[in-house]
Amino acid sequence: MPSVPIERHALPNGLRIVLSQDDRAPIVAVNLWYDVGSRHEKAGKTGFAHLFEHMMFQGSAHVEKGEHMSLVQGAGGTLNASTWLDRTNYFETLPSHELELALWLEADRMASLLPAMTQEKLDNQREVVKNERRWSVDNQPYGDWDERMQALVFPETHPYHHSTIGSMEDLSAASLDDVRSFFATWYAPNNSVLTIAGDFEPAAALVMVERHFGSIPSNPDLPDAPATTIPPRIGDEVRVEVPDRVPLPRIYLAHRAPIFGTDEFDALEVAADLLGLGRASRLYSSLVRGQRLAQDVSVFLFPIIGGASIFALWTTASPGGDAAKLEGALLAEVDRLATDGPSDEELERVRNLHASQIESSLERVAERADRLSMYACLFDEPERLNTEVARYLAVDAGRVQAAMADALRPDNRVVLTYLPMAHETGDAQGEDAA
Amino acid sequence: MTETAVRPVPGAPRAYHFPQFERHSLENGLTVWLVPLPERALVSVHLVLDGGAAAEDESRAGIASLTAQLLVTGTRRLDATQFAEATERLGLEIGSDSSWDSARASFGALNAQLEPALALLAEMIREPRLDEREFERLKAERLADIMQSRADPGRLADEMLLRALYAEGVPYRRPAAGGPETVAALTIDDARAHHATHYLPGSAHLIIAGAFDPDAALAAAGSMLGTRSGSGPGHRTVEPTAAGGRRVVVVDRPGSVQSELRVAQVGIDRQDPRFFKALVTSTILGGMFWSRLNRRLREELGYTYGARAGFDPRRSAGPFLASAAVQTEVTVAAIRELLRLLDQMREAPPEARELREAKDYLVGIFPLRFETTGGLAGAIEPLAVYGLQDDYWQTYRGHIEAVSTDEVHRTADELIQPDQLVILLSGDATRLHDELVEAAFGPVEVLSPEPAAPPPAASGA
Repeated sequence: MPSVPIERHALPNGLRIVLSQDDRAPIVAVNLWYDVGSRHEKAGKTGFAHLFEHMMFQGSAHVEKGEHMSLVQGAGGTLNASTWLDRTNYFETLPSHELELALWLEADRMASLLPAMTQEKLDNQREVVKNERRWSVDNQPYGDWDERMQALVFPETHPYHHSTIGSMEDLSAASLDDVRSFFATWYAPNNSVLTIAGDFEPAAALVMVERHFGSIPSNPDLPDAPATTIPPRIGDEVRVEVPDRVPLPRIYLAHRAPIFGTDEFDALEVAADLLGLGRASRLYSSLVRGQRLAQDVSVFLFPIIGGASIFALWTTASPGGDAAKLEGALLAEVDRLATDGPSDEELERVRNLHASQIESSLERVAERADRLSMYACLFDEPERLNTEVARYLAVDAGRVQAAMADALRPDNRVVLTYLPMAHETGDAQGEDAA
Repeated sequence: MTETAVRPVPGAPRAYHFPQFERHSLENGLTVWLVPLPERALVSVHLVLDGGAAAEDESRAGIASLTAQLLVTGTRRLDATQFAEATERLGLEIGSDSSWDSARASFGALNAQLEPALALLAEMIREPRLDEREFERLKAERLADIMQSRADPGRLADEMLLRALYAEGVPYRRPAAGGPETVAALTIDDARAHHATHYLPGSAHLIIAGAFDPDAALAAAGSMLGTRSGSGPGHRTVEPTAAGGRRVVVVDRPGSVQSELRVAQVGIDRQDPRFFKALVTSTILGGMFWSRLNRRLREELGYTYGARAGFDPRRSAGPFLASAAVQTEVTVAAIRELLRLLDQMREAPPEARELREAKDYLVGIFPLRFETTGGLAGAIEPLAVYGLQDDYWQTYRGHIEAVSTDEVHRTADELIQPDQLVILLSGDATRLHDELVEAAFGPVEVLSPEPAAPPPAASGA
């Protein structure tokens, strides 16, 4: 059972601080979560939170364009950032004697990003992000699956309807004024959590944090999070076929599910592992190894904090196989687990796999820091990191079955099927083609 | 405010040393590497063998990978389902794969599970089931994956680049996991032969990193390959002959909104005395965020989400490769810029700042690379596979620090040869062909690859 040391602090300006000391290796991770994501984007401004994340690396009052990356790498560190539905995170891992460098860089851009913002930099990063979209979505086989899935699970005006990468049109429309107002609204110390994990001295680190972040003003007018309330079920089975330049059909299923942090979400994580984690899982055993209907199968949840999360599966048909048969077999297995429940051996298996995976991920200070920030930001409870495994172990067969019966129903299902385009006609091939 | 206007002065660095390890040679020829790390909660075990793709007969290309994958599908005692259940009940996910220079089976186990985990690994290696039905399934999956990869613009470019770069008959010309021509003809008997020939103790190294009892670990190692002895024939020497000189190859992918660019030539092998110089050189060119390629192509021109460059030193020379995915409209401009940046590396020594940053990066991240037991087990692998000196990691940072501006200049000049460069892209040939011809980067060839024919449908039983 993990037992990561955790200390919580806060500055008067509202910055929440989580400290987790471990001097096993001379490295330290700094991690900053801003409580803003693509769900906060206004209509016509999809993709902005992510584009803004790119702008955060374009310099600040005392830092040149690209210098944040350059300084951290030159200090022997690694770094990145990411944007998602509910949040944006920024993180560095460095040799421990360079802790203050990371804090200085993060504070400088939290305090004073705007003086460094120019139209030229915005235009440049807009092009970079458009290429990111082309690379990960538009030019990829099955590339737009996530964009389509979200749009089918959540209604059009819902904050989770659009994907984080955004549309080309909206990216083109992003302006420097948008950068300024987004920064002023969301990038405030009282909208963020700073975590430091690894080799550092807590008292000295707190002094550094205070020195660099202490004078950054909070935003007293932080808007409320957008309303995300939504009926727990879609109310229908929504079926969409997408002809694509792919050799093999692939089926994506999605269901609305209770949100991250609920007992039902925990039960569905166990269900997802029973179905798809490892070669002894239900779906791998039946669809891939047994009936050889599928090349692969994956089951996972989107850990969304508002409205509803998504329970998702995808599977690629074997050559010569057909999508309808695969779908039927897949749903039959899911129903069977919901009806009969898992055996004790199956539960033991997924529990041990899960425990191993958690231990493995916690070997890295960066991972520890990110999870601490996540639990602090979304739940105001970083200690949940140490109870993750216990919550998983507490899920029994009854809870698995109940959660599956509630969520994994035909009237709460999106079925998104990619079908190989015929070369000559451009029509979809496959059993369901009209 | 002024005290926060300036970059803070770093504290005193805390020393980091690559952990101590021991090497033992067992009676049966197996080499065991023990990396004791008493405070860890996980143990990583890597078994590497001289049974990679370079050990294959070219007519059997792909058998190393299939055999490695086949091992996890059962033992004499346990069928595929039972073996999966037995390992996963211990929280193990055993990986088994192969690359050019080795085959590897590995896992990470919670400390309490190490003993039974090692026993299952030994059973898998010593007496795998090698079931024909499972073999045929894995073969079909490989063939289907080849089809899938040819629909992926990046993977398509990667595959076609190797063909363009290496001459006929050079194994590196085809994917390590084999192309469809050879994979389709492989049989279970080929897998049995590959296992019998190459999975021998004299060709094998067992690496264990974490908190474990050394005597128990050595005892478990002793039974890893049972009563077998001897070494396999090992890997064939690959003669990395280039296919030809400078040219442009367009792999047509109609409608592509991006071109996946690959600019490459035959590089260096793992034993090349210029290894560290090449590493520092490629870091400056395309191995950091503020590298020449990424800074220019991404942060200045906005042509790409990312550009990179590096060497692939295998037992024989793998490619030197620069790559980026660029918007179709700027393809020619991006190639021109990339070639100019390669020329720039050759024409003048790097700036002092660039050299400093590259070396500081490679030296500074040293402890970060070895945070996990898996990372440490992985770090021992090149010592085992390439016969590097035992003090390789102890002296690594010193070798990086020693690289000078003149050496980077000379290395770039020696290893990046404009008349050897293959400039390949997967993208929309119709839109790009004329512009590429006009740009005169080299003679232009257009390929329209047929996707591999789908394998016969699986027979349900």
